[in-house]
Amino acid sequence: MTMTKQEFLTSSGLKVKVLEFWLEQRWLVPQEAAGELHFRDIDVARAQLIRQLKDDFGANDAGIDVILHLMDQLHGVRQALAELREEARRDRS
Amino acid sequence: MRSPYEVLGVAATASAAEIQSAYRKLAKKLHPDLNPGDKAAEERFKEVAGAYDLLSDADKRKRFDAGEIDASGAEKPPPQQHYYRHYAGADHGNPYADVSGYADFMDGEDAFAELLRRSQQARANRRGQDLHYHLTVDFVDSITGATKRLNLPDGSTIDVTIPPGLVDGQTLRLKGKGAPGTGKGGAGDALIEVEVRPDRRFTRAGDDITIEVPISLTQAVLGGEVRVPTPTGEVSMRVPKGANTDTKLRLRGKGAPRRGGGHGDQFVSLKVMLPKAPDPELEAFVAGWKDKDYDPREGRTS
Repeated sequence: MTMTKQEFLTSSGLKVKVLEFWLEQRWLVPQEAAGELHFRDIDVARAQLIRQLKDDFGANDAGIDVILHLMDQLHGVRQALAELREEARRDRS
Repeated sequence: MRSPYEVLGVAATASAAEIQSAYRKLAKKLHPDLNPGDKAAEERFKEVAGAYDLLSDADKRKRFDAGEIDASGAEKPPPQQHYYRHYAGADHGNPYADVSGYADFMDGEDAFAELLRRSQQARANRRGQDLHYHLTVDFVDSITGATKRLNLPDGSTIDVTIPPGLVDGQTLRLKGKGAPGTGKGGAGDALIEVEVRPDRRFTRAGDDITIEVPISLTQAVLGGEVRVPTPTGEVSMRVPKGANTDTKLRLRGKGAPRRGGGHGDQFVSLKVMLPKAPDPELEAFVAGWKDKDYDPREGRTS
């Protein structure tokens, strides 16, 4: 299930300006279809994380940028590892 | 249970600023999203968050120090947060995942590099997500089939073909009507859960349909023709002489379509109705009727 921009703003309590900034920074990249933004579960969870980094951990914008970049790489590596494991399992059976 | 001071590693005399700083230091190390593969980190993070929740609240901290509440009693049940890592995990397909962290490994000619290249390609051509919708149709349409227009949140519409005989709660899959995919990956599907709006005339059991039809005293006693609604329109039906309330007549093939061909039946349950207003002529007739004291409860055990 995806949310529209309005639904996302309502459920997250985020200010429009803040969301615009996050989108501009490409911290959040929701799907786009027919000129509308669609926020997936992963976007919602990512927004929650960005908020925690800011509010709870005191990370500033530059810090968040670095953290997200490294985290995306980490998940890329984890994904590649998971796929390699799948391949290895298939080969064995 | 450890004391919240132990959990955060601060002295019982620590200032609010010291407590916040200790919490941030631990949380940064333990936050589940910064430790995506480490299950233990989440448990420890919860413990740390609980301790901070208690000690960052001056009132709660005072009560804890005074022994009024214990470390666990003060803890709010941790909110069920779905961490980002849950969605970012390999099983879910993560659009944010970045391959630059191992791009150098993909350059070689070895089998490992080949594997990595292949999985990257698979990711670049990922199928779009399935989107879920809900649609309500009339009972009659669910039996005969229909085409319904569904309005999507983005303002577009899709025409949904309701197959004849659809049952309440059935999910229809429209191929390629879901979210767009990436690269050569096709769009996902639209999954439409259809709710059948009940019809107060008809009830359905399996492929058979039952309807209750009122008939007059005259039709019950002498027999006759009645018009009976079916999902495909009204039909004429013969009521046999001596029909009674709860007599069931069968309209063959007027039920819901069967899987694999044919149709179920429609059962017509008769209900004898006296005239709405009392009728002196009918009263006089029944009063003079020889068998007027017949017992409709005959043979009943209770």
